[in-house]
Amino acid sequence: MEGVAAVPIELFRIDDRLIHGQVVVGWGQPLDIGFIVLVDDDVATSDWEQELYRLGVPPGMAVHFDTVAQAVERFASYRDDRRAGILLTKDIETMQRLSVQLAELRCINLGGLHYSAGRVQKLRYVFLTGDEERVLRDLAGRGVAVTAQDVPAARPVPLDALLAGRGG
Amino acid sequence: MFSRLLAIQSSWNYELLMGIGIGFCIEPALRGLPGGAGGPRYREALARECRYFNAHPYMASVAVGALARAELDNVPGTRIERFRTAICGPLGSVGDRLVWAGWLPVCSLLALLVYGLGGGPLRVVATFLIAYNAGHLALRVWGVQAGWSHGLRVATALSSPVFRDGPAYLARAGALLAGIALPVALARVIGPGQERWPLVGVLLATALGSITLVRMHGRAEGWRIAIGVLAAFVLYATVIRHG
Repeated sequence: MEGVAAVPIELFRIDDRLIHGQVVVGWGQPLDIGFIVLVDDDVATSDWEQELYRLGVPPGMAVHFDTVAQAVERFASYRDDRRAGILLTKDIETMQRLSVQLAELRCINLGGLHYSAGRVQKLRYVFLTGDEERVLRDLAGRGVAVTAQDVPAARPVPLDALLAGRGG
Repeated sequence: MFSRLLAIQSSWNYELLMGIGIGFCIEPALRGLPGGAGGPRYREALARECRYFNAHPYMASVAVGALARAELDNVPGTRIERFRTAICGPLGSVGDRLVWAGWLPVCSLLALLVYGLGGGPLRVVATFLIAYNAGHLALRVWGVQAGWSHGLRVATALSSPVFRDGPAYLARAGALLAGIALPVALARVIGPGQERWPLVGVLLATALGSITLVRMHGRAEGWRIAIGVLAAFVLYATVIRHG
């Protein structure tokens, strides 16, 4: 892309709702997002789910549906894109698999992990199981900055404060 | 199911958001599952439908129709759960643009226009309530029917021109109404023969409002601020000045 400044992926976000208002408007507008990479092994092979997720994306914003392997393979082209992008996964495990293979993945945003059986509330919008807490600690131990922040106007909550229940 | 849709948010909470409301609305349909109310299929489906769900409260009617159809058609539970996750975003996005950013301001401006044209408090409030409720009730009726007809393939109905282009048309209608209603309503607030001091007040308020908007830039969406200003205006016009 000679002559065109490359823009890195602006946000690596874990959100079990995937594409919704907070992503396309809340983060999309202030970061001037041009594309979303939705990484999910199931959705990447499901036409009807992709059709639904596309309905939530405003005109002018592109969306790519990748498996973990495809996202790793295509990451260089996303990084070299002159538009800003957001990479989304619906769970911690998928983001953890990506982080192992992508050296550029140094910051993770916890944007929404909601209640299900076995999960304990950490923030209004973050509920975690014991296993998920361990994976997040492991990521932080490998130098990845993990913070919880649902919208840009909110205060980012560092992982230590989140797990200690001091997120407010 | 339709009457239950009116109470879809009554058990809203931070854990499941609208989840229990979805289960409550679908419950009458689930009684038709083999084994009837209380049977194992009924319990399994009801538990599934009460899980986390978040969407626009009016557009959730689409999900209610589609999920009821899927449960009665014996669609596998894992597929239904994936549908529930995928449908939240589109329903929230379409509903926000169509209702909160479109229909609600249009109805408020319509009420303001009635005030500007000389309507009393009852007529102003009735105009807003009748117009707004007609819109959201029609949307809910359509939503349940569309969801029930299309089932998990409801994306076809949601990609209709009404939802694709409707918000833009409503925004234009809102701009037109604002252009007519605001001067007419201001003229009535100021009153004949006492233009100077109220006009100074209006200019001062405009300046202060502009500074506030600039300071809030990036922290609050424009349409939320606009609705707040409209609500304050309608409140002043109908309750304080003529109460």
